[in-house]
Amino acid sequence: MMLSRLRVVWTVFYMYLKQIAIDGFIIFTVIIQPLLVALLAIYLLRDSDGFQAIYVIVGSALTGIWSGTLFFNSFNIQSERWSGNLENIIGSPTDLQTVVLGKALANTTISLGSVLFSYPIAALLFRFRLTIAHPFLFIVSLLLTILALMSLGLVIAPIFSLNPGNIMWINAFEFPMYILGGFLFPVLMLPAWTTPISYILSPYWAARALHDTSSGITFLSDVLISWGLIIFLSLTYLFISNWLFRVLLRRAREKATLGLQ
Amino acid sequence: MNIIEIQDLKRIYRAKIGVLRRKVKEVLALDGINFSVSQGELFGLLGPNGAGKTTTVKILTTLLTPTAGRASVLGFDVVRDETKIRPHIGFIFGGERGLYWRLSGYDNLVYFANLYNISPDVQKKRIPELFKLVGLEGRENEKVQGYSRGMKQRLHIARVLLHDPQVLFLDEPTMGLDPVGARELRQAIKNLQLEKKTILLTTHYMFEADAMCERIAVIDHGKIVALDTPTGLKNYVQDLSIVEIEVFGIPHDAVERIQNLDGVDMVSVENRDQKQALRIHSSDGAGAVAPVVSTLQNMGLRVGNVIVREPTLEDAYVRLVGGEV
Repeated sequence: MMLSRLRVVWTVFYMYLKQIAIDGFIIFTVIIQPLLVALLAIYLLRDSDGFQAIYVIVGSALTGIWSGTLFFNSFNIQSERWSGNLENIIGSPTDLQTVVLGKALANTTISLGSVLFSYPIAALLFRFRLTIAHPFLFIVSLLLTILALMSLGLVIAPIFSLNPGNIMWINAFEFPMYILGGFLFPVLMLPAWTTPISYILSPYWAARALHDTSSGITFLSDVLISWGLIIFLSLTYLFISNWLFRVLLRRAREKATLGLQ
Repeated sequence: MNIIEIQDLKRIYRAKIGVLRRKVKEVLALDGINFSVSQGELFGLLGPNGAGKTTTVKILTTLLTPTAGRASVLGFDVVRDETKIRPHIGFIFGGERGLYWRLSGYDNLVYFANLYNISPDVQKKRIPELFKLVGLEGRENEKVQGYSRGMKQRLHIARVLLHDPQVLFLDEPTMGLDPVGARELRQAIKNLQLEKKTILLTTHYMFEADAMCERIAVIDHGKIVALDTPTGLKNYVQDLSIVEIEVFGIPHDAVERIQNLDGVDMVSVENRDQKQALRIHSSDGAGAVAPVVSTLQNMGLRVGNVIVREPTLEDAYVRLVGGEV
Protein backbone atom coordinates (compact mmCIF):
# COMPACT_ATOMS: atom_id res chain seq x y z
CA MET A 1 0.00 0.00 0.00
CA MET A 2 2.74 2.39 1.08
CA LEU A 3 4.88 1.34 -1.87
CA SER A 4 2.13 1.98 -4.41
CA ARG A 5 1.45 5.38 -2.82
CA LEU A 6 5.14 6.27 -3.08
CA ARG A 7 5.06 5.14 -6.70
CA VAL A 8 2.14 7.50 -7.36
CA VAL A 9 4.00 10.40 -5.68
CA TRP A 10 7.08 9.67 -7.79
CA THR A 11 5.07 9.33 -11.02
CA VAL A 12 3.19 12.58 -10.42
CA PHE A 13 6.45 14.33 -9.43
CA TYR A 14 8.27 13.13 -12.53
CA MET A 15 5.43 13.64 -15.03
CA TYR A 16 4.59 17.07 -13.63
CA LEU A 17 8.23 18.19 -13.83
CA LYS A 18 8.24 17.03 -17.44
CA GLN A 19 5.27 19.28 -18.17
CA ILE A 20 6.34 22.44 -16.35
CA ALA A 21 10.12 22.49 -16.64
CA ILE A 22 10.10 24.70 -19.73
CA ASP A 23 7.17 26.90 -18.74
CA GLY A 24 8.00 30.60 -19.22
CA PHE A 25 6.14 31.67 -16.09
CA ILE A 26 8.18 29.24 -14.02
CA ILE A 27 11.46 30.47 -15.45
CA PHE A 28 10.46 34.03 -14.55
CA THR A 29 9.29 33.18 -11.03
CA VAL A 30 12.18 30.94 -10.13
CA ILE A 31 15.11 32.62 -11.88
CA ILE A 32 14.45 36.15 -13.09
CA GLN A 33 12.35 37.53 -10.24
CA PRO A 34 14.73 36.41 -7.43
CA LEU A 35 17.63 37.79 -9.42
CA LEU A 36 15.92 41.18 -9.70
CA VAL A 37 15.22 41.11 -5.96
CA ALA A 38 18.88 40.23 -5.29
CA LEU A 39 20.13 43.06 -7.51
CA LEU A 40 17.87 45.60 -5.84
CA ALA A 41 18.77 44.43 -2.34
CA ILE A 42 22.50 44.47 -3.05
CA TYR A 43 22.38 47.99 -4.52
CA LEU A 44 20.36 49.20 -1.54
CA LEU A 45 22.26 47.47 1.22
CA ARG A 46 25.87 46.99 0.11
CA ASP A 47 27.14 50.18 1.76
CA SER A 48 25.30 49.57 5.03
CA ASP A 49 26.97 48.29 8.22
CA GLY A 50 27.14 44.53 8.59
CA PHE A 51 26.23 43.86 4.96
CA GLN A 52 26.63 40.19 4.08
CA ALA A 53 26.22 39.23 0.45
CA ILE A 54 25.37 35.65 1.38
CA TYR A 55 22.46 36.90 3.50
CA VAL A 56 21.01 38.83 0.57
CA ILE A 57 21.51 35.94 -1.85
CA VAL A 58 19.87 33.40 0.45
CA GLY A 59 17.07 35.89 1.09
CA SER A 60 16.41 36.58 -2.58
CA ALA A 61 16.45 32.85 -3.32
CA LEU A 62 13.85 32.44 -0.59
CA THR A 63 11.62 35.00 -2.33
CA GLY A 64 11.76 32.85 -5.47
CA ILE A 65 11.07 29.68 -3.49
CA TRP A 66 8.09 31.28 -1.75
CA SER A 67 6.64 32.82 -4.95
CA GLY A 68 6.97 29.48 -6.69
CA THR A 69 5.36 27.62 -3.80
CA LEU A 70 2.49 30.11 -3.61
CA PHE A 71 1.73 30.44 -7.32
CA PHE A 72 2.26 26.86 -8.43
CA ASN A 73 0.38 25.31 -5.51
CA SER A 74 -2.52 27.73 -5.81
CA PHE A 75 -3.15 26.40 -9.30
CA ASN A 76 -2.34 22.78 -8.40
CA ILE A 77 -5.92 21.56 -8.26
CA GLN A 78 -7.37 24.24 -10.52
CA SER A 79 -5.12 23.21 -13.40
CA GLU A 80 -6.37 19.63 -13.08
CA ARG A 81 -9.94 20.92 -13.24
CA TRP A 82 -9.21 23.05 -16.30
CA SER A 83 -7.57 20.17 -18.13
CA GLY A 84 -10.50 17.87 -17.31
CA ASN A 85 -8.29 15.56 -15.27
CA LEU A 86 -9.64 16.32 -11.80
CA GLU A 87 -12.58 13.96 -12.31
CA ASN A 88 -10.23 11.25 -13.59
CA ILE A 89 -8.09 11.61 -10.47
CA ILE A 90 -10.98 11.74 -8.00
CA GLY A 91 -12.64 8.79 -9.73
CA SER A 92 -9.50 6.66 -9.33
CA PRO A 93 -8.53 4.66 -6.23
CA THR A 94 -5.74 7.16 -5.44
CA ASP A 95 -6.70 10.01 -3.15
CA LEU A 96 -6.29 13.55 -4.44
CA GLN A 97 -3.93 14.47 -1.60
CA THR A 98 -1.34 11.95 -2.81
CA VAL A 99 -1.44 13.44 -6.31
CA VAL A 100 -1.17 16.99 -4.95
CA LEU A 101 1.73 15.88 -2.72
CA GLY A 102 3.64 14.77 -5.83
CA LYS A 103 2.92 18.11 -7.49
CA ALA A 104 3.84 20.11 -4.37
CA LEU A 105 7.14 18.22 -4.19
CA ALA A 106 7.81 19.05 -7.85
CA ASN A 107 6.87 22.69 -7.27
CA THR A 108 9.24 22.99 -4.31
CA THR A 109 12.02 21.26 -6.24
CA ILE A 110 11.57 23.66 -9.16
CA SER A 111 11.45 26.59 -6.75
CA LEU A 112 14.77 25.52 -5.25
CA GLY A 113 16.18 26.37 -8.64
CA SER A 114 16.22 29.91 -7.21
CA VAL A 115 19.04 28.88 -4.91
CA LEU A 116 21.00 27.22 -7.69
CA PHE A 117 20.75 30.22 -9.99
CA SER A 118 20.98 33.08 -7.48
CA TYR A 119 24.37 32.03 -6.07
CA PRO A 120 26.50 31.83 -9.19
CA ILE A 121 24.83 34.74 -11.02
CA ALA A 122 25.18 37.15 -8.07
CA ALA A 123 28.72 35.98 -7.41
CA LEU A 124 29.61 36.62 -11.02
CA LEU A 125 27.92 40.01 -11.26
CA PHE A 126 29.24 41.50 -8.03
CA ARG A 127 32.44 39.52 -7.71
CA PHE A 128 31.50 38.51 -4.18
CA ARG A 129 33.14 35.51 -2.67
CA LEU A 130 30.15 33.52 -1.52
CA THR A 131 31.00 30.97 1.10
CA ILE A 132 28.58 28.92 3.11
CA ALA A 133 29.71 28.89 6.72
CA HIS A 134 28.36 25.42 7.59
CA PRO A 135 27.74 23.44 4.38
CA PHE A 136 26.43 20.29 6.05
CA LEU A 137 24.02 22.17 8.32
CA PHE A 138 22.99 24.28 5.33
CA ILE A 139 22.07 21.20 3.27
CA VAL A 140 20.00 19.80 6.15
CA SER A 141 18.29 23.20 6.43
CA LEU A 142 17.61 23.14 2.70
CA LEU A 143 16.00 19.69 2.95
CA LEU A 144 13.85 20.88 5.85
CA THR A 145 12.92 23.93 3.76
CA ILE A 146 11.54 21.52 1.15
CA LEU A 147 9.46 19.87 3.88
CA ALA A 148 8.28 23.25 5.20
CA LEU A 149 7.19 24.56 1.82
CA MET A 150 5.76 21.30 0.57
CA SER A 151 3.51 21.00 3.62
CA LEU A 152 2.52 24.65 3.28
CA GLY A 153 1.80 23.96 -0.40
CA LEU A 154 -0.58 21.20 0.69
CA VAL A 155 -2.52 23.78 2.71
CA ILE A 156 -2.47 26.39 -0.06
CA ALA A 157 -3.76 24.02 -2.77
CA PRO A 158 -7.15 23.14 -1.19
CA ILE A 159 -7.69 26.70 0.12
CA PHE A 160 -7.48 28.15 -3.37
CA SER A 161 -9.65 25.36 -4.77
CA LEU A 162 -12.45 25.52 -2.20
CA ASN A 163 -13.55 28.72 -3.82
CA PRO A 164 -12.05 29.44 -7.27
CA GLY A 165 -12.65 33.16 -6.63
CA ASN A 166 -9.88 33.04 -3.99
CA ILE A 167 -7.32 32.97 -6.80
CA MET A 168 -7.46 36.75 -7.11
CA TRP A 169 -5.88 37.04 -3.63
CA ILE A 170 -2.69 35.20 -4.60
CA ASN A 171 -0.61 38.32 -5.13
CA ALA A 172 -1.72 39.69 -1.77
CA PHE A 173 0.06 36.77 -0.09
CA GLU A 174 3.35 37.10 -1.97
CA PHE A 175 5.06 40.16 -0.52
CA PRO A 176 3.90 39.86 3.12
CA MET A 177 5.79 36.57 3.37
CA TYR A 178 8.99 38.23 2.11
CA ILE A 179 8.72 40.58 5.09
CA LEU A 180 7.17 38.37 7.79
CA GLY A 181 9.42 35.47 6.79
CA GLY A 182 12.54 37.56 7.41
CA PHE A 183 13.91 36.71 3.98
CA LEU A 184 15.87 39.90 3.32
CA PHE A 185 16.12 41.50 6.74
CA PRO A 186 15.53 40.29 10.33
CA VAL A 187 11.95 40.42 11.63
CA LEU A 188 13.28 42.28 14.69
CA MET A 189 13.09 45.38 12.52
CA LEU A 190 9.30 44.97 12.30
CA PRO A 191 6.71 46.08 14.90
CA ALA A 192 6.55 43.67 17.83
CA TRP A 193 2.95 42.64 17.13
CA THR A 194 3.99 40.99 13.85
CA THR A 195 6.46 38.61 15.54
CA PRO A 196 3.84 35.97 16.60
CA ILE A 197 2.66 35.85 12.99
CA SER A 198 6.20 35.12 11.80
CA TYR A 199 6.54 32.39 14.41
CA ILE A 200 3.63 30.34 13.03
CA LEU A 201 5.01 30.49 9.48
CA SER A 202 7.35 27.62 8.62
CA PRO A 203 9.14 29.70 5.91
CA TYR A 204 10.29 32.05 8.70
CA TRP A 205 12.06 29.19 10.51
CA ALA A 206 13.37 27.87 7.21
CA ALA A 207 14.79 31.33 6.42
CA ARG A 208 16.36 31.52 9.88
CA ALA A 209 17.96 28.10 9.51
CA LEU A 210 19.28 28.91 6.03
CA HIS A 211 20.58 32.36 7.06
CA ASP A 212 22.23 31.01 10.22
CA THR A 213 23.92 28.10 8.49
CA SER A 214 25.11 30.15 5.52
CA SER A 215 26.19 33.33 7.33
CA GLY A 216 27.62 31.68 10.44
CA ILE A 217 26.13 30.69 13.78
CA THR A 218 27.02 31.46 17.35
CA PHE A 219 25.05 28.61 18.90
CA LEU A 220 24.09 25.31 17.29
CA SER A 221 21.02 25.28 19.54
CA ASP A 222 19.57 28.18 17.50
CA VAL A 223 19.64 26.05 14.36
CA LEU A 224 18.25 23.03 16.19
CA ILE A 225 15.33 25.13 17.45
CA SER A 226 14.62 26.30 13.88
CA TRP A 227 14.74 22.72 12.60
CA GLY A 228 12.45 21.49 15.40
CA LEU A 229 9.92 24.21 14.69
CA ILE A 230 10.02 23.53 10.94
CA ILE A 231 9.15 19.88 11.65
CA PHE A 232 6.46 20.77 14.19
CA LEU A 233 4.81 23.38 11.95
CA SER A 234 5.03 21.11 8.89
CA LEU A 235 3.23 18.32 10.75
CA THR A 236 0.60 20.84 11.88
CA TYR A 237 0.16 22.03 8.28
CA LEU A 238 -0.22 18.42 7.09
CA PHE A 239 -2.92 17.88 9.70
CA ILE A 240 -4.77 21.03 8.59
CA SER A 241 -4.30 20.05 4.94
CA ASN A 242 -5.84 16.64 5.58
CA TRP A 243 -8.95 18.28 7.01
CA LEU A 244 -9.11 20.83 4.18
CA PHE A 245 -8.94 18.07 1.54
CA ARG A 246 -11.82 16.21 3.20
CA VAL A 247 -13.91 19.41 3.19
CA LEU A 248 -12.90 20.15 -0.40
CA LEU A 249 -13.90 16.74 -1.70
CA ARG A 250 -17.19 16.65 0.18
CA ARG A 251 -18.14 20.12 -1.08
CA ALA A 252 -17.00 19.43 -4.63
CA ARG A 253 -19.23 16.35 -4.84
CA GLU A 254 -22.15 18.27 -3.37
CA LYS A 255 -21.72 21.41 -5.46
CA ALA A 256 -20.65 19.71 -8.68
CA THR A 257 -17.40 21.65 -8.98
CA LEU A 258 -15.05 18.81 -9.96
CA GLY A 259 -15.46 19.45 -13.66
CA LEU A 260 -16.03 22.57 -15.66
CA GLN A 261 -19.71 23.05 -16.43
CA MET B 1 -27.69 -9.79 -10.67
CA ASN B 2 -28.07 -6.03 -10.96
CA ILE B 3 -24.76 -4.20 -11.18
CA ILE B 4 -26.30 -0.72 -11.22
CA GLU B 5 -29.38 0.18 -9.18
CA ILE B 6 -31.02 3.58 -9.09
CA GLN B 7 -34.02 4.40 -6.91
CA ASP B 8 -35.89 7.72 -6.88
CA LEU B 9 -32.70 9.55 -7.73
CA LYS B 10 -32.97 13.32 -7.57
CA ARG B 11 -30.39 16.00 -8.16
CA ILE B 12 -30.87 19.74 -7.84
CA TYR B 13 -28.12 22.17 -8.88
CA ARG B 14 -27.98 25.43 -6.98
CA ALA B 15 -26.20 28.47 -8.36
CA LYS B 16 -25.92 31.97 -6.96
CA ILE B 17 -26.83 34.71 -9.41
CA GLY B 18 -26.70 38.49 -9.25
CA VAL B 19 -24.07 40.83 -7.84
CA LEU B 20 -25.64 42.88 -5.06
CA ARG B 21 -28.82 40.98 -4.42
CA ARG B 22 -27.58 37.43 -4.60
CA LYS B 23 -30.28 34.91 -5.38
CA VAL B 24 -30.06 31.15 -5.45
CA LYS B 25 -31.25 29.63 -8.69
CA GLU B 26 -32.26 25.99 -8.57
CA VAL B 27 -32.22 23.64 -11.52
CA LEU B 28 -33.83 20.24 -11.22
CA ALA B 29 -31.51 17.97 -13.20
CA LEU B 30 -32.89 14.61 -12.09
CA ASP B 31 -36.45 14.19 -10.90
CA GLY B 32 -36.73 10.82 -9.20
CA ILE B 33 -35.42 8.38 -11.80
CA ASN B 34 -35.38 4.60 -11.40
CA PHE B 35 -33.61 1.91 -13.41
CA SER B 36 -31.25 -0.99 -13.02
CA VAL B 37 -28.59 -2.55 -15.23
CA SER B 38 -27.77 -6.24 -15.02
CA GLN B 39 -24.38 -7.89 -15.30
CA GLY B 40 -22.91 -7.87 -18.81
CA GLU B 41 -25.67 -5.62 -20.15
CA LEU B 42 -25.04 -2.75 -22.56
CA PHE B 43 -27.55 -0.18 -21.38
CA GLY B 44 -28.24 3.06 -23.23
CA LEU B 45 -29.28 6.40 -21.84
CA LEU B 46 -30.79 8.66 -24.50
CA GLY B 47 -31.97 12.20 -24.15
CA PRO B 48 -31.61 15.76 -25.41
CA ASN B 49 -28.98 18.17 -24.06
CA GLY B 50 -29.62 19.00 -20.41
CA ALA B 51 -31.92 16.02 -19.93
CA GLY B 52 -29.84 14.62 -17.05
CA LYS B 53 -27.69 11.96 -18.76
CA THR B 54 -24.31 13.26 -17.64
CA THR B 55 -25.63 14.03 -14.15
CA THR B 56 -26.72 10.38 -13.85
CA VAL B 57 -23.31 9.15 -15.00
CA LYS B 58 -21.49 11.50 -12.63
CA ILE B 59 -23.53 10.27 -9.68
CA LEU B 60 -22.86 6.64 -10.62
CA THR B 61 -19.14 7.29 -10.99
CA THR B 62 -19.08 8.82 -7.45
CA LEU B 63 -18.16 12.29 -8.72
CA LEU B 64 -21.42 13.86 -7.64
CA THR B 65 -23.75 13.27 -4.71
CA PRO B 66 -27.50 13.03 -5.29
CA THR B 67 -29.86 15.43 -3.56
CA ALA B 68 -32.25 12.55 -2.74
CA GLY B 69 -32.73 8.91 -3.58
CA ARG B 70 -30.26 6.08 -3.76
CA ALA B 71 -27.81 4.70 -6.29
CA SER B 72 -25.50 1.74 -6.05
CA VAL B 73 -22.83 0.19 -8.25
CA LEU B 74 -21.71 -3.41 -7.67
CA GLY B 75 -23.84 -3.35 -4.51
CA PHE B 76 -21.98 -0.39 -3.02
CA ASP B 77 -23.66 2.92 -2.24
CA VAL B 78 -22.27 5.70 -4.44
CA VAL B 79 -22.25 8.25 -1.59
CA ARG B 80 -20.91 6.22 1.33
CA ASP B 81 -18.82 3.53 -0.38
CA GLU B 82 -17.13 5.53 -3.13
CA THR B 83 -13.68 4.12 -2.35
CA LYS B 84 -15.01 0.56 -2.85
CA ILE B 85 -16.54 1.42 -6.22
CA ARG B 86 -13.69 3.38 -7.83
CA PRO B 87 -11.18 0.53 -8.41
CA HIS B 88 -13.82 -1.44 -10.34
CA ILE B 89 -15.25 1.18 -12.68
CA GLY B 90 -13.99 3.18 -15.63
CA PHE B 91 -15.51 6.24 -17.22
CA ILE B 92 -15.13 8.52 -20.21
CA PHE B 93 -16.73 11.88 -20.66
CA GLY B 94 -16.91 12.81 -24.32
CA GLY B 95 -14.51 15.37 -25.75
CA GLU B 96 -10.80 15.95 -25.88
CA ARG B 97 -10.19 16.99 -22.28
CA GLY B 98 -9.12 14.65 -19.51
CA LEU B 99 -5.63 13.96 -20.79
CA TYR B 100 -2.23 15.61 -20.23
CA TRP B 101 -1.51 17.23 -23.57
CA ARG B 102 2.13 18.02 -22.85
CA LEU B 103 2.88 14.37 -22.15
CA SER B 104 3.12 11.55 -24.66
CA GLY B 105 0.30 9.07 -25.03
CA TYR B 106 2.50 6.46 -23.35
CA ASP B 107 3.26 8.74 -20.37
CA ASN B 108 -0.46 9.44 -19.98
CA LEU B 109 -1.18 5.76 -19.64
CA VAL B 110 1.73 5.22 -17.22
CA TYR B 111 0.39 8.09 -15.12
CA PHE B 112 -3.14 6.70 -14.92
CA ALA B 113 -1.90 3.13 -14.49
CA ASN B 114 -0.13 4.25 -11.34
CA LEU B 115 -3.26 6.02 -10.09
CA TYR B 116 -4.96 2.61 -10.39
CA ASN B 117 -2.10 0.87 -8.54
CA ILE B 118 -1.11 -1.27 -11.51
CA SER B 119 2.35 -2.70 -10.93
CA PRO B 120 5.15 -1.68 -13.34
CA ASP B 121 5.47 -5.27 -14.59
CA VAL B 122 1.80 -5.38 -15.59
CA GLN B 123 2.06 -1.87 -17.09
CA LYS B 124 4.89 -2.92 -19.39
CA LYS B 125 2.72 -5.68 -20.85
CA ARG B 126 -0.69 -4.02 -20.74
CA ILE B 127 0.07 -0.56 -22.15
CA PRO B 128 1.46 -1.78 -25.52
CA GLU B 129 -1.50 -4.18 -25.80
CA LEU B 130 -3.92 -1.30 -25.30
CA PHE B 131 -2.16 0.91 -27.85
CA LYS B 132 -2.56 -1.94 -30.32
CA LEU B 133 -6.20 -2.47 -29.37
CA VAL B 134 -7.16 1.16 -29.96
CA GLY B 135 -5.09 1.48 -33.11
CA LEU B 136 -2.48 3.92 -31.79
CA GLU B 137 0.47 1.57 -32.16
CA GLY B 138 3.51 3.53 -33.31
CA ARG B 139 2.17 6.85 -31.98
CA GLU B 140 2.82 6.11 -28.30
CA ASN B 141 5.71 8.52 -27.87
CA GLU B 142 4.12 11.53 -29.54
CA LYS B 143 2.77 14.30 -27.37
CA VAL B 144 -1.01 14.20 -26.97
CA GLN B 145 -1.29 17.83 -28.13
CA GLY B 146 -0.39 16.59 -31.61
CA TYR B 147 -3.09 13.90 -31.61
CA SER B 148 -6.27 14.35 -33.64
CA ARG B 149 -9.59 14.39 -31.84
CA GLY B 150 -10.21 10.78 -32.78
CA MET B 151 -6.79 9.72 -31.49
CA LYS B 152 -7.45 11.45 -28.17
CA GLN B 153 -10.77 9.68 -27.92
CA ARG B 154 -9.06 6.35 -28.59
CA LEU B 155 -6.45 7.15 -25.95
CA HIS B 156 -9.35 7.71 -23.55
CA ILE B 157 -10.60 4.22 -24.34
CA ALA B 158 -7.13 2.81 -23.63
CA ARG B 159 -6.99 4.78 -20.38
CA VAL B 160 -10.33 3.49 -19.21
CA LEU B 161 -9.34 -0.13 -19.88
CA LEU B 162 -5.99 0.04 -18.06
CA HIS B 163 -7.31 -1.51 -14.86
CA ASP B 164 -9.71 -3.92 -16.59
CA PRO B 165 -12.83 -2.47 -14.92
CA GLN B 166 -16.01 -4.50 -14.43
CA VAL B 167 -18.31 -1.59 -15.16
CA LEU B 168 -17.85 1.09 -17.83
CA PHE B 169 -19.59 4.43 -18.10
CA LEU B 170 -19.22 5.92 -21.55
CA ASP B 171 -20.71 9.40 -21.86
CA GLU B 172 -21.04 10.20 -25.58
CA PRO B 173 -17.79 8.42 -26.48
CA THR B 174 -18.18 8.84 -30.25
CA MET B 175 -18.93 12.57 -30.07
CA GLY B 176 -16.96 14.43 -32.71
CA LEU B 177 -15.38 11.35 -34.26
CA ASP B 178 -15.27 10.84 -38.01
CA PRO B 179 -17.52 8.02 -39.31
CA VAL B 180 -14.69 5.50 -39.61
CA GLY B 181 -13.34 6.32 -36.15
CA ALA B 182 -16.84 6.14 -34.64
CA ARG B 183 -17.47 2.77 -36.28
CA GLU B 184 -14.18 1.39 -34.94
CA LEU B 185 -15.00 2.67 -31.49
CA ARG B 186 -18.46 1.11 -31.59
CA GLN B 187 -16.87 -2.19 -32.53
CA ALA B 188 -14.42 -1.85 -29.63
CA ILE B 189 -17.36 -1.26 -27.27
CA LYS B 190 -19.18 -4.31 -28.65
CA ASN B 191 -16.04 -6.37 -28.03
CA LEU B 192 -16.03 -5.20 -24.43
CA GLN B 193 -19.57 -6.42 -24.08
CA LEU B 194 -18.45 -9.83 -25.30
CA GLU B 195 -16.02 -9.80 -22.38
CA LYS B 196 -19.11 -9.58 -20.12
CA LYS B 197 -18.42 -6.03 -19.03
CA THR B 198 -21.41 -4.03 -17.85
CA ILE B 199 -21.64 -0.86 -19.90
CA LEU B 200 -23.75 2.25 -19.50
CA LEU B 201 -23.63 4.31 -22.68
CA THR B 202 -25.07 7.75 -23.27
CA THR B 203 -25.37 8.98 -26.81
CA HIS B 204 -27.16 11.38 -29.11
CA TYR B 205 -26.94 8.99 -32.04
CA MET B 206 -30.07 6.87 -32.36
CA PHE B 207 -28.62 4.35 -34.77
CA GLU B 208 -25.75 3.83 -32.35
CA ALA B 209 -28.12 3.11 -29.47
CA ASP B 210 -30.29 0.94 -31.74
CA ALA B 211 -27.37 -1.13 -32.98
CA MET B 212 -25.57 -1.54 -29.68
CA CYS B 213 -27.83 -1.35 -26.64
CA GLU B 214 -29.87 -4.19 -25.21
CA ARG B 215 -32.13 -1.77 -23.35
CA ILE B 216 -32.53 1.97 -23.56
CA ALA B 217 -33.86 4.51 -21.11
CA VAL B 218 -35.08 7.75 -22.67
CA ILE B 219 -34.59 10.64 -20.28
CA ASP B 220 -36.10 14.09 -20.65
CA HIS B 221 -36.22 16.99 -18.20
CA GLY B 222 -34.76 14.73 -15.52
CA LYS B 223 -37.39 12.01 -15.88
CA ILE B 224 -37.29 8.61 -17.53
CA VAL B 225 -40.03 8.82 -20.15
CA ALA B 226 -39.51 5.30 -21.54
CA LEU B 227 -37.39 2.26 -20.78
CA ASP B 228 -37.41 -0.69 -23.13
CA THR B 229 -35.47 -2.68 -25.70
CA PRO B 230 -34.84 -0.85 -29.01
CA THR B 231 -37.59 -2.99 -30.59
CA GLY B 232 -39.92 -2.23 -27.69
CA LEU B 233 -39.28 1.51 -28.07
CA LYS B 234 -40.02 1.31 -31.80
CA ASN B 235 -43.35 -0.25 -30.90
CA TYR B 236 -44.29 3.10 -29.31
CA VAL B 237 -44.71 4.35 -32.86
CA GLN B 238 -45.78 1.07 -34.48
CA ASP B 239 -49.24 2.49 -35.27
CA LEU B 240 -47.67 5.30 -37.27
CA SER B 241 -46.02 5.83 -40.62
CA ILE B 242 -43.41 8.47 -41.11
CA VAL B 243 -43.78 10.92 -43.97
CA GLU B 244 -40.69 12.98 -44.76
CA ILE B 245 -41.14 15.95 -47.08
CA GLU B 246 -38.39 18.28 -48.24
CA VAL B 247 -39.47 21.93 -48.23
CA PHE B 248 -37.58 25.12 -49.02
CA GLY B 249 -38.04 27.95 -46.49
CA ILE B 250 -40.93 26.78 -44.39
CA PRO B 251 -42.68 29.43 -42.22
CA HIS B 252 -43.68 28.65 -38.63
CA ASP B 253 -47.44 28.82 -39.30
CA ALA B 254 -47.15 26.07 -41.94
CA VAL B 255 -46.11 23.63 -39.21
CA GLU B 256 -49.17 24.60 -37.17
CA ARG B 257 -51.48 24.14 -40.16
CA ILE B 258 -50.10 20.70 -40.95
CA GLN B 259 -50.31 19.70 -37.30
CA ASN B 260 -54.08 20.39 -37.46
CA LEU B 261 -54.68 18.14 -40.49
CA ASP B 262 -56.55 14.86 -40.03
CA GLY B 263 -54.28 11.85 -39.65
CA VAL B 264 -51.27 13.94 -38.56
CA ASP B 265 -50.06 12.94 -35.12
CA MET B 266 -46.93 15.03 -34.78
CA VAL B 267 -44.74 17.30 -36.91
CA SER B 268 -41.07 18.12 -36.44
CA VAL B 269 -38.71 20.13 -38.64
CA GLU B 270 -35.09 19.32 -39.31
CA ASN B 271 -32.81 21.81 -41.05
CA ARG B 272 -30.77 20.35 -43.90
CA ASP B 273 -28.54 23.10 -45.36
CA GLN B 274 -30.75 25.29 -47.61
CA LYS B 275 -33.86 23.16 -47.14
CA GLN B 276 -35.91 21.72 -44.31
CA ALA B 277 -37.26 18.23 -43.81
CA LEU B 278 -40.76 18.01 -42.42
CA ARG B 279 -41.09 14.77 -40.47
CA ILE B 280 -44.73 13.87 -40.02
CA HIS B 281 -45.90 11.08 -37.74
CA SER B 282 -49.11 9.90 -39.35
CA SER B 283 -51.65 7.26 -38.42
CA ASP B 284 -52.97 7.49 -41.98
CA GLY B 285 -49.76 6.36 -43.70
CA ALA B 286 -49.46 7.43 -47.34
CA GLY B 287 -52.94 8.92 -47.09
CA ALA B 288 -51.49 11.92 -45.25
CA VAL B 289 -49.19 12.85 -48.13
CA ALA B 290 -51.77 14.44 -50.45
CA PRO B 291 -53.36 16.86 -47.91
CA VAL B 292 -49.95 17.87 -46.52
CA VAL B 293 -48.41 18.53 -49.95
CA SER B 294 -51.52 20.37 -51.03
CA THR B 295 -51.38 22.57 -47.89
CA LEU B 296 -47.74 23.40 -48.52
CA GLN B 297 -48.32 24.21 -52.20
CA ASN B 298 -51.31 26.39 -51.33
CA MET B 299 -48.93 28.41 -49.13
CA GLY B 300 -46.69 28.89 -52.16
CA LEU B 301 -43.91 26.64 -50.86
CA ARG B 302 -41.71 24.55 -53.12
CA VAL B 303 -41.88 20.86 -52.23
CA GLY B 304 -38.98 18.49 -52.89
CA ASN B 305 -38.66 14.73 -52.26
CA VAL B 306 -41.44 12.91 -50.42
CA ILE B 307 -40.75 9.63 -48.60
CA VAL B 308 -43.11 7.37 -46.66
CA ARG B 309 -41.30 4.91 -44.42
CA GLU B 310 -41.51 2.66 -41.37
CA PRO B 311 -40.74 4.32 -38.01
CA THR B 312 -37.22 4.07 -36.57
CA LEU B 313 -35.89 4.42 -33.04
CA GLU B 314 -35.27 8.10 -33.76
CA ASP B 315 -38.98 8.56 -34.55
CA ALA B 316 -39.90 6.88 -31.28
CA TYR B 317 -37.42 9.12 -29.49
CA VAL B 318 -38.79 12.26 -31.16
CA ARG B 319 -42.29 11.29 -30.10
CA LEU B 320 -41.15 10.63 -26.53
CA VAL B 321 -39.22 13.85 -26.03
CA GLY B 322 -41.60 16.01 -28.01
CA GLY B 323 -39.64 17.04 -31.06
CA GLU B 324 -36.24 17.74 -29.48
CA VAL B 325 -33.28 15.90 -30.92
